[in-house]
Amino acid sequence: MGFLTWLEASGLAEWVRMSTEGYPTVITLHAIGMAIMVGLCVIVDLRLLGKFDGVPYAALQKLLPIAWIGFLINTLSGTGLFVAQATMFATDLMFLAKIALVFAGAATAGILQPQLAHADTWPGGKPPASVRRVAFLGIVFWLCAIVTGRLTAYIMIFI
Amino acid sequence: MNHVYDWMLGTWVNKVVLGYPWSWPTLESLHFLGLCVLMGALLVMDLRLIGFQRTIPLKAVHSLMPWAIAAFAINLLTGLGFFFGDPYNYAGNWSFWTKMSFIVLAGVNFLIYFFAVEPKLLRLGPTDPTPGIAKVVGALSLTFWFLVLAFGRLLPYLGTGGG
Repeated sequence: MGFLTWLEASGLAEWVRMSTEGYPTVITLHAIGMAIMVGLCVIVDLRLLGKFDGVPYAALQKLLPIAWIGFLINTLSGTGLFVAQATMFATDLMFLAKIALVFAGAATAGILQPQLAHADTWPGGKPPASVRRVAFLGIVFWLCAIVTGRLTAYIMIFI
Repeated sequence: MNHVYDWMLGTWVNKVVLGYPWSWPTLESLHFLGLCVLMGALLVMDLRLIGFQRTIPLKAVHSLMPWAIAAFAINLLTGLGFFFGDPYNYAGNWSFWTKMSFIVLAGVNFLIYFFAVEPKLLRLGPTDPTPGIAKVVGALSLTFWFLVLAFGRLLPYLGTGGG
């Protein structure tokens, strides 16, 4: 608990918690980063599941670096949001579930990115079942991450 | 406008939105999902208009449009749910009206795309560079929609009318 209390007393935490502009700034950046990361990942996942079939797989590979910019924005803004109430978040099961789902979603993007690099070797030009499964899981993880993320504002389950 | 807001407060929509503890978070979750799909589709379409991602054929870019429209429809409906739930709060909030103004600007920009840009694009080869007007419309679209997102998220903190 010592570390979390120390985080909560840090300058960043105080700025987010106390200042007029701190919390609105980081929460807005968090929404922007989410739109970029989740939005692009879901488009990539949907493409691999057979939607918008005119979009070449090579183009998807170039979208993912933009998605990672969104992820970076959210890692930074999310750190700000976390440290502001570190002791509360660290013991809230709803928040921990959300974080697990976000990293699971990011992991699907991380797995798909190198796969897309050799899309031209896919038999029949279609993604193999293993790739489609990861894309499907990606959509499920992001969907659940958004719902649990939103619910952290309403329901706390302390462990 | 007060009689409109008063009427909203008496509708069944208001009862549903405020009557159950799950209503508001459910609407919010749907609003967030909608915005992610909308912004994801817009990023792909507008970046192609601006000139990035030229390996994506213009026609394929167009196939994202129904998803963007469906996502916007979800957010329009869930957004109306919020407004019916708490009309006076939103009506007195300048951040809300700023957000609505940027949606209108994005809508006008879309009409310019639809009537002035798309006919030009249809005459181009699938991976041709886009004309200047397409780049401007694409850049304005991303600018307007990210401002819609920002003012929407800032809504509870900015300009809450009576204080």
